Amino acid sequence: MGSFWRIPRRMRGRALALGLLGGLVLCQSSSFTHLQDAPTNNQPLEACSPEMLFTPWTVEASDFQNSEDATGGDIAPVRSLADPYPSLHSVAVDPDNNRVLMSDSNRGGLLFYDRSGGSLSSDVARPVTQIRGPATGMMFVAGVALDPRNHELFAVNNDIGDRMEVFPYDAEGNIRPKRILFVPHGSWGVALNREREEVAITVEHSNTVVIYRRDASLGEAPLRILHGPKTGLGDPHGITFDEERNEISVANHGNWAPLTRAESLQGEVKGGRFNLPSISTYAGEAKNDEAPLRTIQGKRTGLNWPMGMSVDPIHNEIAVASYGSDSILIFHRTDEGDVAPVRVIHGGLTSIAGPMGVSIDTKNDEIWVTNYREHSAAVFARTAQGNVAPKRLVRNALPGTPAVGFGNPGAVAYDSKRDQILVPN
Amino acid sequence: MHGIVYDAVHDEIIVPVHLAGAVLVFRGDAKGEQGPIRMIQGPRTQILRPETVAVDVPHGEIIVGEDGGKDILVFRRDAQGDAEPLRVIRGPKTGLDEVRGVAVDPVRNLLVVSSYSRKGTTGVFIFNRTDEGDVAPRAIIAGPRTGIVRIRQLEVDPERGKIFVAVKNNTESYRWDAASPSPWDARELGFIGVWDVSDSGDVAPRAVIKGPASGIVWPAGIALNPRQQEIYTIDSVRNGMFTYSVPEFFQAKSAAIHGEAASR
Repeated sequence: MGSFWRIPRRMRGRALALGLLGGLVLCQSSSFTHLQDAPTNNQPLEACSPEMLFTPWTVEASDFQNSEDATGGDIAPVRSLADPYPSLHSVAVDPDNNRVLMSDSNRGGLLFYDRSGGSLSSDVARPVTQIRGPATGMMFVAGVALDPRNHELFAVNNDIGDRMEVFPYDAEGNIRPKRILFVPHGSWGVALNREREEVAITVEHSNTVVIYRRDASLGEAPLRILHGPKTGLGDPHGITFDEERNEISVANHGNWAPLTRAESLQGEVKGGRFNLPSISTYAGEAKNDEAPLRTIQGKRTGLNWPMGMSVDPIHNEIAVASYGSDSILIFHRTDEGDVAPVRVIHGGLTSIAGPMGVSIDTKNDEIWVTNYREHSAAVFARTAQGNVAPKRLVRNALPGTPAVGFGNPGAVAYDSKRDQILVPN
Repeated sequence: MHGIVYDAVHDEIIVPVHLAGAVLVFRGDAKGEQGPIRMIQGPRTQILRPETVAVDVPHGEIIVGEDGGKDILVFRRDAQGDAEPLRVIRGPKTGLDEVRGVAVDPVRNLLVVSSYSRKGTTGVFIFNRTDEGDVAPRAIIAGPRTGIVRIRQLEVDPERGKIFVAVKNNTESYRWDAASPSPWDARELGFIGVWDVSDSGDVAPRAVIKGPASGIVWPAGIALNPRQQEIYTIDSVRNGMFTYSVPEFFQAKSAAIHGEAASR
């Protein structure tokens, strides 16, 4: 993502309601709100220790020997800002097992909800299970996929982590993955094709799609790679792998730049560019610099930072989470060129705010949307369009709870004129 | 985006866009989907994947650091479009690899760069401000005593001659046989380190913020507020931002620069 946040210099982590959330204690120190493992869900709340969820528990003084003669040391911050609640990133629905999986890129976890969960009340929905903690190895989790046949869930770490974790359905808590696969830096989306027994992953940084065996692990090489100027891939994010028609569709932000000096000098000298966002569709066995079968691109499409995608093979449709326009766009699966979506879900009634993930449930005729800028996921009728209210909301915080929105921030600046701190994502 | 800088004199925000090979300049009060007022992008710019950016207001320049390009590109501050750089620092003598941070000391005419290398030197590279081409740095701060394993954004306090560095020390490895993968391995903790602009070689930081109370795991960015004597850092593991009140970090002035003055 490309955005930056303005934060008043004196803002700190806000006081949020203390409470239990799916096996985690929400607690707050004087200057920092954070999560910490709860011994049991029934144990009463206690004051939080200074260590936060991600602080290594084995820190010892010897680790800081190079600071003994230096000014400073282990100084506590006077103000801190972070989001204690999960930021719902991607979503995948398994209607056969009545489960919905969502990734939490903020606190590095996975949440499994009951498919029929949520309501229109302000209640916080409790996940059936959660996976998070040091043993999981999860960090900046992005795309997720489910394999109902083998009862496995797949999660890709984006930007930091550089690996895909695979867990069994019944995994819970701070548990090691069933297997991991090292994936290229900047991986984002993941899609399974159970007929081909393959998993496809988008890589933002290198404008690439890599396809592995479904069971691939550790340093196993991909079966094939889709990359090159003819592919039209540009900062790819969401991905679907249509099992019935054997097609891969990719949501492209449109950013492109040569990776190396040599690449920039091949043929005509090339520099970076902002192309229009697009959805490009390839043959399932496409590889190397193969052109897409068709591309949806143009001003009429309404695509604006397209993120997660979902294919509906029964009704021949593709849904895209358009983060930049707070909308869900539905196209015909075979649409091509500068076409308007057949339906758009957008407006104040929808509760859609920064949609990152989308998943179509054809069995129950529903469509799920994860809101990155709100602590919620919204469930709509599959054919919903316009400014319509969702059927229900799955909240992981009370309504109005601010979502900080940090996503692996990499820099910071101080605006001395406005006394604000600027943070790019 | 992995970099950002604020130009207080012209009230502008400058950001590098890594995946689109561009540097965008926004009004200081920009918000929402407001477009940039200037953009540097195109084949003549020589920009590949800009990682970090700095602005040298007294000399009217924007400095861009690249990881993949392993170089420093200097543009006029008001450059726009497919503009050629004024100067480029690139080549084996520079020692630069994946450039992660860049800052200017306009008082001493220095260009300070953080660079990470898997095979070469990871540390702080100090050039003369107007250096150009394949030129060796005048000093490198690197080595085991520095504590630098991996490095990100840096800032210079020109008034006091200090370099503030976000030493991220992230190792994105997951050893299958390890009890806990990084970053839960305490040996990999990052920190904020402060050096003098006159430092060179394997020297320990003169000031640090590091440890469990600090909250820092993998600090990726750093910004200074000398007026309030505060340091801001952003942590990619915490997904959080920390403010430290450290008057002692803004007290002492740097010793004179070793060797001849950088006056080119």
